[in-house]
Amino acid sequence: MIEPSNLPFEALGIHSRRRFLARNAMGVGSVALAWMLGEEKLLATPPNVPRNPRSFDLKQKVSSIPPRAQAMISLFMHGGPSHIDLFDPKPELTKRSGQDYQGDITFSFVDRASKKLFGSPWKFRQHGQSGTPVSELLPHFASIVDDVTVIRSMHTDINGHEPSIWFMNTGRAQPGRPALGSWLTYGLGSESQRLPAYVVLTDPGGHPVDGVRNWSNGFMPPLFQGTVVRSAEPRILNLDPPSHLKGTLQEQNLNFLARLNQAHLTRHPGETDLEARIATYELAARMQTSAKEALDISGESLSTKKLYGLDQPETREYGTRCLIARRLVERGVRFVQLFVNGQIWDNHEGIKTNLASCCRKTDQPSAALVKDLKARGLLDTTIVHWGGEIGRLPVTENHGAAEKAGRDHNGQGFTSWVAGGGFKGGISYGETDEFGHKAVINPVSPNDYQATLLHLFGMDHTHLAFYQNGQSQHLTDGKPCRVIKEILRNA
Amino acid sequence: MKTAEIKQADAPPLRAQTAVKAISILGLPRGTAALFGLVLLIFCNVRSDAAPVPTFEKDIRPILKAHCFECHGEGDLLKGGLDVRLRRLLLVGGDDGPALVPGKPDRSKLLKMIESGKMPKRDKKLSPAESALIRKWIATGASTARPEPTELSQGAGITEEERTFWSFQPIGTPKAPKTKASNRVRTPIDAFLIGSMAKQKLHFSPEAEKVTLLRRACFDLTGLPPTPEERVTFLGDSSTNAYEQLVDRLLNSKHYGERWGRHWLDVAGYADSDGYSDADPPRDYAYKYRDYVIRAFNDDKAFDRFITEQIAGDELAKATEATAASVAVATPESRTLLIATGFLRMGVDGSATDALSDPDAVRNQVVADTLKIVSTSLLGLSVGCAQCHDHRYDPIPQIDYYRLRAVFEPAYDYKKWRTPTQRLVSLATDLDQKKSAEIESEAQRITREKETKQMGYLTEALTKHLETFDAALRKPLRAAYDTPLTQRTSEQKALLAAHPSVNISPGVLYQYNAKAADDLKSIDAKIATIRSQKPIEDFISILTEPADHLPITSLFHRGDYHQPKSTVLPGGLTVLNPSGQPIQFPAKNPNFSTSGRRLAFAQWLTSNTHPLVARVLINRIWLHHFGRGLVNTPADFGAMGERPSHPELLDWLASDFMQHGWKLKRLHKLILTSTAYRQSSQRNPQQERRDPENRLYWRKPIQRLDAEAVRDAILATSGALNETMFGRPVPVRPDVYGQIVVGEDKTQGDNKMPVETTLNGEEFRRSVYVQVRRSRPLALLHAFDAPVMEVNCERRQNSTVATQSLMMMNSQFLLDQSARFAQRLVREVGTNRLQQIQRAWQLAFNRNPDAREITDSVSFLEKQAAYLLSLPPPQIDAKAKKEIKNQPESKITPELQALTDLSQTLFSANEFLYVD
Repeated sequence: MIEPSNLPFEALGIHSRRRFLARNAMGVGSVALAWMLGEEKLLATPPNVPRNPRSFDLKQKVSSIPPRAQAMISLFMHGGPSHIDLFDPKPELTKRSGQDYQGDITFSFVDRASKKLFGSPWKFRQHGQSGTPVSELLPHFASIVDDVTVIRSMHTDINGHEPSIWFMNTGRAQPGRPALGSWLTYGLGSESQRLPAYVVLTDPGGHPVDGVRNWSNGFMPPLFQGTVVRSAEPRILNLDPPSHLKGTLQEQNLNFLARLNQAHLTRHPGETDLEARIATYELAARMQTSAKEALDISGESLSTKKLYGLDQPETREYGTRCLIARRLVERGVRFVQLFVNGQIWDNHEGIKTNLASCCRKTDQPSAALVKDLKARGLLDTTIVHWGGEIGRLPVTENHGAAEKAGRDHNGQGFTSWVAGGGFKGGISYGETDEFGHKAVINPVSPNDYQATLLHLFGMDHTHLAFYQNGQSQHLTDGKPCRVIKEILRNA
Repeated sequence: MKTAEIKQADAPPLRAQTAVKAISILGLPRGTAALFGLVLLIFCNVRSDAAPVPTFEKDIRPILKAHCFECHGEGDLLKGGLDVRLRRLLLVGGDDGPALVPGKPDRSKLLKMIESGKMPKRDKKLSPAESALIRKWIATGASTARPEPTELSQGAGITEEERTFWSFQPIGTPKAPKTKASNRVRTPIDAFLIGSMAKQKLHFSPEAEKVTLLRRACFDLTGLPPTPEERVTFLGDSSTNAYEQLVDRLLNSKHYGERWGRHWLDVAGYADSDGYSDADPPRDYAYKYRDYVIRAFNDDKAFDRFITEQIAGDELAKATEATAASVAVATPESRTLLIATGFLRMGVDGSATDALSDPDAVRNQVVADTLKIVSTSLLGLSVGCAQCHDHRYDPIPQIDYYRLRAVFEPAYDYKKWRTPTQRLVSLATDLDQKKSAEIESEAQRITREKETKQMGYLTEALTKHLETFDAALRKPLRAAYDTPLTQRTSEQKALLAAHPSVNISPGVLYQYNAKAADDLKSIDAKIATIRSQKPIEDFISILTEPADHLPITSLFHRGDYHQPKSTVLPGGLTVLNPSGQPIQFPAKNPNFSTSGRRLAFAQWLTSNTHPLVARVLINRIWLHHFGRGLVNTPADFGAMGERPSHPELLDWLASDFMQHGWKLKRLHKLILTSTAYRQSSQRNPQQERRDPENRLYWRKPIQRLDAEAVRDAILATSGALNETMFGRPVPVRPDVYGQIVVGEDKTQGDNKMPVETTLNGEEFRRSVYVQVRRSRPLALLHAFDAPVMEVNCERRQNSTVATQSLMMMNSQFLLDQSARFAQRLVREVGTNRLQQIQRAWQLAFNRNPDAREITDSVSFLEKQAAYLLSLPPPQIDAKAKKEIKNQPESKITPELQALTDLSQTLFSANEFLYVD
C-alpha cells in the first residue's frame, strides 16, 4: 500500500505507516511535549489498530504546489491598531475633522459613541523607492517599506475582538477551531528534529485576550497545539527545567539516575525496553540543550542586539522576542507567533499617548526582524506578518477633553502588512473608503489572507483538509475566498 | 550524562546553512518500506497456509474474496458479467468470454488482468505472492477441494473452509497433558505450557524472588505498589501458602476493581464526554457506569451476568422508556440493572450538536460505534467491516451486520431518535419535584423584581445622559427612545442614529452606571443562589426501549442509510451456526413490553456454547497478566488475526471458566498461582535462541506500568494518594500553557487566566476517577499511552519516548510529588540519611538497598546538598517563588532539596516504572 504523496490531504490508509515504520526511522522527534507525543508514539504502535485508524505525525510533507515559504513569523497585534493613524492616510478625514460622519456606524461602546470625524493627529510621509506612505509614528517601518506588502483592505466585518481574532487565526468567527499554526504544521510537518514546530512567544505582561485558546489545536490532535515559550523560566513547559533544578543539580540527578538504571539493566540483561528508556533520558537532555541554545541570545553580536533595540528599555523585551523568533525559524521552527500583553492597541481613549507608546514598543523590533532575516538570506523563505484582528473608527470616542479622545472598534476595514516568503515588496494593496471606515477596493477577508498564506507554503486551501466526524474541514472554512495573486512575486 | 559534550556534537544546523531543504526526502523510502512490509506479511500468510497443490476453496477464494468479490460476485450488478465466486463460474466467464483455462495460466484472462495491474481497479493490487499462487493454481489444473455447489445464494456465502476456521469451532474441553516435571506443575496451565515447551526443549525459568512476586502481584491485581504493611506481612510470612494468601488478600482488596474495572473500561470506550463537536459536552452521569463496573469486579459478579446486565439490564428490570424513572427509584437492584446499560451509551454521541447538517448520519454513527464496542469487546471480530459490504477476510456477510443492528434498533432507532439528554433518566422523587417547583417560583418572583429595577435604572441613566444634550433635543430624544422600536417614525429613527449614545440597553448599562449594573448582577447572583437550593436532580444515563417499538431494520447498500434495501430480522453471526442457517432471535418477546432482542442476544452470547465470547475474554485476562495474549490480536480472532499460540490451553481455560460460573477472581488465582506466572523474568540466551519472542512463556516478561499505574504509584509512594472511591469524576482543565492537568476549569479576565482552586485532596485520587474528557486527555496519562476514546481501545500502545522522560524530569506534578515523598521520608524516619535511603528504597522499589546503592545515595545526597550550600543566597523573585508550589522558601533546606532530588530520581528509575 503506497501512500499518496499528498498526505495528509487524503487522510486515508495512513495506518499502514504505523505498521511498518522501523523503530528508529525518524530518530529524534520534535521537542514540545504534545508535539512529540504523536511523533514518537508512531514508532511504537502495535499492529492492531483501532477503527478508522488515523495517526498523525510531524514528518515533513510534500506540498502540492512548489512552496515559496518555509516558515512564518506572525507579529500578532491584537486589540486593533489604528490603521488610519499608522498606514492608511486619509486626507479627506483630516479635512473634515470635527464634522459629523454621515454614514452608518456600528459602535461597541455606545455610551461614548459619537459621529464626529477625527482626523489623524499624525503626519504621513512617503518612504522608500516605492513611496509608500507611513505615519510619523513608525520611523523604523518606514525604512523597510520596499520589502513589504501593505494590505489596506483587510476586513472581518465583526467589531468584537475575540470573534475577529478567531476569524483571522482559525478561519471562522467562532471558537474551537485549530489555529493557523496548527494547520501549517499539520499540512507541512516539522523541519526541526529538536524544536517544536509551532511556537508561541507570549508577553511577560500576560496572555493575550482569550488566553490559551489562541494557540489551540481545536479538533486536531494535541500534537498540533502551539508550544508556549515564556520570557521567564521555565521557558518551555516540561522541556525547560524549573529554575531551582537547572544546571548542576539536574545534571547530578541524571547522573545518579543513569547509575541506578545501569545497575538495574545489569540485573536485567538484554531488556531492550529498559535500554530504550535510558536512551530517552539522554535524548531528553539533548533536547533541553537544543532548546536552551535556541533561546540563548548571548552569542548574538552587539550590532544585531542594537538593531532589535535591545539596548533601550522600551524595545528590549519585544526586541528580544523578535530576535528569538528569528533564531527559531533559523533552526527549522515552522511557525512562530508573538502576542502582546492584554489589549495595548485597543485605544479607546488617550490614543495620542497610548498609540505612540505601542509603536515605540514594537516598531523598531518589527522592522529589525525583516532587515535581519533579509541580511541572512532568510526573508525569501520566511513570511513576516504584522497586524491585528480589527482597525479603528474614523470618528472620535469622545471623553470631552481632546487628550482623552480615542477610537472605537472597526471590523470593516484595517491594515496588515506582510513581507518575505514570496510576497511582493514595496506595494500597497486594496483601499478603504475616503474616511478609512470600510474596505472598498480589493477587500481582503481573513480567508483570502489564509488562502494566500497556504498557497505560498505550497498548499491549496481547498485541498488541505482535516477529517472530522466524516466531514472535511478546511482552514478557509469552505467560504468563498481566493489567493491574492496580485501581491505575490512571479505569481 | 555529559550534556556539555552533547551540546557540541549536536548543535543543530541552521536553516540558512543548509539552504532550502528538499521536502520530499521522506516520502518515497517510507512508502517503499510499507509496500515491502505488506508484501512480506501476505507472503508469509500465504506460504504458511499453502498446500502443495492449491485448491480454489482454501487458497484462491480468500484472495479473490478480498480483492474481487465486491464487483464480481457480491453486488446486484456483476461488472463485465463476470462472477468469480466459484471455479465453474470462472470457466463460464463474463462478457469477454471465459476467465479461466485450467492448466494454461497465460491463456487465463483472470491472471492476465491481475498480472497486468488492470484489476483490481482500486489502488490496492494483489501482491506478487498472491498472483504467483493463482498462477500455480491454474498451472496445476485449477483444482477444487470438492464438487462446487450448484446454487449460490446472494453474497459471498460461507464456505466449509471458512466455517472450520479455528475460532468458530465449539470450545473444547481438553484434558491437561500429563508431564514428568511435576514439581513445576502447580496448575493445569503449567501442564499445557510445559507440554508445548518440551517440543522446543524449553523449560520454565526459576521461581522469582519473593519480593519480586510481591511487587508483581500487587501491581497486576490492584495497580498499586505494595503497602509497607503488606510488605512486612508477606515477606515475614514463611508459611508454604504465603503467596496464595497474598493473592487472596489482593483479590479481596477494593483496589482490585479499580484496576481490572479500568481494563474493561478500555474496551467499553468509557468517557465522561459526548465527543463529536468542538464543545465536547461533558457526560455528567457516565461515572455511574464506571462505578458499576468497579463494583462488579470487586463483587466478582459472574461475568455472564455482567455481560447480560450491560447488554440488557433494562429488559432484566422490565423497564421501558416510559417506566425507567420509576424502575430506577424502585430498588437499588433495579437501578443497578439500568445503570449497567451505560455500556451501550459509551460511544461518541454528537446527536445533540446544534445545526447538524446531517443529523441522521450522526445518529447512525452512534449505532455503528456501539456495535463496534459490542463486537470488539465480546466477539473479538471486526464485525464493523461488514457494514458496507461482505467482510473481505472473514465469513461475515453484510446481512449479518444488519442482523446485529436489528438487535439494537428498537433502542437506537435513528428515525425516532433521542439525544443524550433525552436519554437521561431522572432519579428525582415526587417530593423533590414539589420542592423544586416552590423554589423556582420564588426565583421567578425575584426575576420580575429585577426587571422592574432594571427598567428604573435605564430610565435614570437616560435622564442623566440627556442632560449632556441641548435642552431642545432632550424631549424628542426621550420620546424616540420611549417609543417601541416597531412604532418609531423615520424621524425618530434618524434622530437616534445621529445620537448613538442615547441607545441605552441593558447590555450596555454598565457603561453608563456601573453601580446599577453591579446591583443587577448581584440580584442575578441571588437568583442563582436560590435556584441552587433546589434538590440536586440526579440522573442516570442508560439505554431503554419504548414499549412495543419494533422499527424495521434495513440492509443499507454500501452502508449508506439513504439506500435501504431488504428488511432484516435480528440475529447472530451465521458462521457460528453449525447448521449453516442464520441465527435468529425473536423479533418480539411476548413476555416483555420491550422487544426482548437484546436479552436474547445476551443469552446467545452467554449460553456456554458460544465459541467466541469466553475465548475472547480469557484471552484479554491472559494478555493483561502476561503482556501477550494467547491470541496476540485480542480484538481480531478472524483470518487477519494471529492464530492462538496454545489453542488447547485457551480452550481449557475458557471451558473451565464457564463450568465454574464465569468467575474472574477464580481465574486470576489460577493464573497467579501457576508456575508460569511465578517465574523469574530473567532472560536465558539458550532458550532465547529457540524462542526469542517468549511465545511459549518460558519466562515472565517484564512489563512497563501502564498510564494509570504510573500516576497512582507515584501518588501512593509520595503518600499523597487519596483512596476515596466512586463518584463524580475529578475535573481536568487546561493550565496556563494549554496543557491538561487536574483541576477545576475556572478562568478569569479577558485573557482567560486559569484560577487556581484547591480540590481538597481530590486531585490525588486514583486515575480511574479522573475525568475522561475526550478532547482533554490528562497530559501525564496521555504521555504514558492512556487511550483517547474515539470509539474504544482494544489494546494500548506501549511507547518509550523522550516526552515521558521530560515529564519525569521537569513536570510540576513530578516536582510536587517528589517534594511530598521527601517530606514523607523525613516524617517517617527523621533526618538520618541511612534510614531515609532505606525507607525510600522500600517505598519506591519495595526492597532494601544494597551496600553500593547506599554508598551511592549518600554521596549523591551529600553532593546535592554541598552544591546547594555553595550557592549564593537565593535571589528568587516573588513570581518564581509562587511557582515552586508546596515548597515554601523557608522550609527548603539543602538537605530537603537533596532528598527531593533523590525521590524524583527514584520515580524516574526503570525499577520504578517496570515490573519484573
